[in-house]
Amino acid sequence: MRIPFRLLIMTVAFCAVILRLPAQAQYSNFKTMSQKIDLLSHEYPLLCSVKSLAKTAGGKEIRVITIGTGEKDNKPGIALFGGVEGNHLLGTELALGFAGSLLQESYAPEIKKLLGKITFYVFPDVSPDATEQYFAEIKYERTVNGRSTDDDRDFIFDEDPAEDLNKDGFITLIRIKDPSGKYTESKEDKRIMVPADLSEGETGSYLVYSEGIDNDHDGSFNEDGAGGVNFNRNFTFNYEEFGLNAGLYPVSEPETKAVADFLYARFNIYAVFTFGPQDNLGKPMKSSDQPEKDDRITSILKTDEIINKVVSDKYHEITVVNGAPVTETTSGNFMEWAYFHYGRYSFGTPAWWFPVEKGKNSSAAFLKYAEMNKKNDVFIPWREIKHPDFPGKTAETGGIKPFVMINPPADSLSLLIARNYKFITEIAAMHPELEFLDLKSENAGENIFRISLKLHNKGIFATCAGIGENNIWTRIMRITVEPANGQTILSGKKVQQVERLEGNQSAEFSWLISGKGSLKITAGALNTGSVSAEVELR
Amino acid sequence: MNKIFSLAFLVSFLLLSAIPAIAQNEELFFRAAGSPANPRVQASWNKYYTYQGVVDLCTKLSKAYPDLVTIESAGKSYQGRDIIVLTISDKKAQNPDFKPALWIDGNIHSIELQGTEMALYTAWYLCEMYNDNAFIRQLLKDKTFYISPTINPDAREYFTSIGVPPRSGLVPRDNDRDGLLDEDGYDDLNNDKEISQMRRKNPDGKFKSDPKDPRRMMRVPAGEKGEYELLGAEGIDNDGDGLINEDGPGGYDGNRDWGFNWEPNYIQGGADKYPFSFPENQAVRDFTLKHRNITGAQSFHNNGGMILRGPSIKNGGAETYSNEDDAVINTIGKKGEIMIPGYKLLTIWKDLYPVYGGEVDWWYGAMGCFVYSNELWNSYLMFYDSTNNDAYEFDRLLLFEDAFIPWQKVNHPVYGEIEVGGFSKNFGRLHPGFLLETDAHRNAAFCIYNSFQSPKLEITGIEVKKLPGGLKEVTATVENKRMLPTHSASNIKFKIDPPDYVYLDGGTVIAGMVVLDKDMKINQEQKKNPQRMEINNIAGYQRIDLKWIVKEGSKFTVRVESMKGGRTTAAAE
Repeated sequence: MRIPFRLLIMTVAFCAVILRLPAQAQYSNFKTMSQKIDLLSHEYPLLCSVKSLAKTAGGKEIRVITIGTGEKDNKPGIALFGGVEGNHLLGTELALGFAGSLLQESYAPEIKKLLGKITFYVFPDVSPDATEQYFAEIKYERTVNGRSTDDDRDFIFDEDPAEDLNKDGFITLIRIKDPSGKYTESKEDKRIMVPADLSEGETGSYLVYSEGIDNDHDGSFNEDGAGGVNFNRNFTFNYEEFGLNAGLYPVSEPETKAVADFLYARFNIYAVFTFGPQDNLGKPMKSSDQPEKDDRITSILKTDEIINKVVSDKYHEITVVNGAPVTETTSGNFMEWAYFHYGRYSFGTPAWWFPVEKGKNSSAAFLKYAEMNKKNDVFIPWREIKHPDFPGKTAETGGIKPFVMINPPADSLSLLIARNYKFITEIAAMHPELEFLDLKSENAGENIFRISLKLHNKGIFATCAGIGENNIWTRIMRITVEPANGQTILSGKKVQQVERLEGNQSAEFSWLISGKGSLKITAGALNTGSVSAEVELR
Repeated sequence: MNKIFSLAFLVSFLLLSAIPAIAQNEELFFRAAGSPANPRVQASWNKYYTYQGVVDLCTKLSKAYPDLVTIESAGKSYQGRDIIVLTISDKKAQNPDFKPALWIDGNIHSIELQGTEMALYTAWYLCEMYNDNAFIRQLLKDKTFYISPTINPDAREYFTSIGVPPRSGLVPRDNDRDGLLDEDGYDDLNNDKEISQMRRKNPDGKFKSDPKDPRRMMRVPAGEKGEYELLGAEGIDNDGDGLINEDGPGGYDGNRDWGFNWEPNYIQGGADKYPFSFPENQAVRDFTLKHRNITGAQSFHNNGGMILRGPSIKNGGAETYSNEDDAVINTIGKKGEIMIPGYKLLTIWKDLYPVYGGEVDWWYGAMGCFVYSNELWNSYLMFYDSTNNDAYEFDRLLLFEDAFIPWQKVNHPVYGEIEVGGFSKNFGRLHPGFLLETDAHRNAAFCIYNSFQSPKLEITGIEVKKLPGGLKEVTATVENKRMLPTHSASNIKFKIDPPDYVYLDGGTVIAGMVVLDKDMKINQEQKKNPQRMEINNIAGYQRIDLKWIVKEGSKFTVRVESMKGGRTTAAAE
């Protein structure tokens, strides 16, 4: 009976959100985003607090919005991230949009109830140095922070950035007619340049590079521009030593360290949502039957796979997305780190994508999708320029505009925010929650009492993700009995560790107590919340 | 240098000035070969130094040998102690930071105390022998030593004063995952500043006194009656959770905290949040990143008598070993086996156990250095006999039972009447005094050998030849006179350091080339910036021939700048 009612309430709330939010006309730059965050903390001072955790190499603050009630760090928590990959502006909007929607709806009974139990930690943008490039005079898909690095390891720093050769404000591509070139026009869409396929009897006729000049004359174009380290390559899971934009060592940056420290210090967080390129909501992660190499764990555990599937199904149902994006597994990424190393449930999605048939070129597929959906202005037609590195050769600039393949037009933001908001609040309601069932005390004879109970996890989520069970950065549940004065425990332990409980799983306990009086029993850990009861023995 | 440090200098200076004669009257001694008989800084090597003692000795060395020693703090420990680094090199012969250097650290594991003494002895020996010994004098002209005697000063202080710390430093940690930090450590029940063993009389126990030496607890054979049960290390259940000593101070592992081949705690016990979670290791990291002239590193641990080399994880990680690197590492390691009897050259993952995020892999993989980790002390050293490892007999015959704490009755809140006793914390893993200096000297000699084998570049045979059309041809050879290459395999692959640069100064360079085959006259031109030739590596005992074509100029200087091979110049007319 309970579930349909909840659905009804959520649907009403959902409609309310859509009606109340004006259609957002554009993506927010860092300044606008900061103002929006400040506004939320001023409008909802009781529910919402904002903290700055670090300053990036580019001098921008990493801020976290904490939303909840009471002792916020002592309740089961969910962390939500945007800007994990700096070119994914959508993630930032969705994270900030979630915070705004949650606070706006905080009066609704279902949300009020949720905020009584769960704390949300929202990080709208963890790559602010990079996301700001979207709003810069010259726009390109930047993913790195402001730290000066030697990307091409030639011992010179930031010496070969991109140049806007055709002065259109975008960095796209250059192509040069050259018989030694390996590129040719795609058969799927002539505007797209693809490597010629020798096995099909093709030879190329173009050189293709990123738009710019070879500033350091090393034969590579734009291989060492401004910055930096990519937030989403700098975490410890599957970290690539000496990888491009991976940093000097894992968690080397002020922002990655601040985020990791913040999370590790909060044992109450049980799940992490990441808006970014890594996806396990479009398509859930699969466990592996192969034995893992050298004690490492690189596939989702069977017990967590079930929850991932439940959550992924919900994502499809609520946000009405089709299929799954082309998954990107990159070394050192945040979403997988949150699962494999932080040891929490971790969910990720780019939240918007277009269909690509198997084996087809994704750029060509995008142009087809854009045409069908009347999205104009996504391609800059090839146009001849004079290129100093190719005197006497025909050079052109052109290509798909930066950002458009991973960020939808701003007029679709409101709807995406509302849908993803609804999804997260529904998943949050599946949080682990302990209760005592069948709590009994029987008089076993003169002054001797037998107490028994079941500790039950009534949530869908386990009390701890399976991956976190043996990880010191999760707490172990304990069940403790506190005898009153004059009472002693004849059998059973005063304090004992409780094994992880899956959703709807129980564990049974009993004690033999000598002496009358009031006995207190407490069970739980920070990430599950605790439950306690007093038993009067007489 | 910070204020506290300057104060330490001042205090030590005052102390030093108060003692007028540092060196003693020479007539009292007849010099033994290979040791400083009359050192400026008096030090004895049959005891362990407290942290304060380490600071004191380092400060005295820097005062007594200002032209050889620089003392600095590389950073602070968790509790605020300085991580001291001594730079030892002949400062008058070139800037020490431009010379090939060996890094030495000790005591990363707190209970592995003697690594500090090995490092300190090396520092002291180099200084005190500088004037007496031509080899050491030349070595310090060519090379630099960066020596950090303890990179875990907090837990060293704990060990030498309070009790027995964990292997780790003293950053609090929740080892039993109950939300409380360090709430149930060992307890010194008899207040002797030792944590020894607990035993209780129990006819059902599995142990009895050994008739040959009643101090020793031996397991009773099946079917026989025992006398005692063993109850583990001294301690009580401080937090009332039914467990004893389950969450003491620290409890992580500083040697699973390095930024290479790192894995989290559930795969690699002792790892923390991410690499370089601890301030002591951060200090070493930051010092190293600023001193890329370090070619080799030596880390001291105990015990077992091992000279450990990488890789530390199964089949190696992201680092690359070449056959050439392996040959160098094995040759030096095998020399170590000769120099330090009882020690064996072993590979960490194969012969010991896999270590993720260990210091050795970071030095080799991330920094491109040749590195060893010595596990100091083994039972062979007791009787120079690998078949007799009887510590009780050794203690009786040679230490006169000084290493044993006699069993003593104590009342335990849970176990009732028990006895505590056993070997003292200064025995078992640590050298007894009379063997400490011997092993310190042998390990120092191993470090010196390693340093000696770091690259030494020399420019030979500069020739200037006239070419038609007023041009000149300048040829030169750069030779590496030692075993180590300027770039390890990882260094070449990942471009950790710049290539070796060979400059030709004088005239206008039109072309520059590496001579690949002198006889067949095969050369390889460097198109970009030929005045500064880039050489990816100069292997041990190998040479590189270079040729330039130059316009104008009559005086030519060839200049080599190598991050790990040092700097040198030579001129020709």
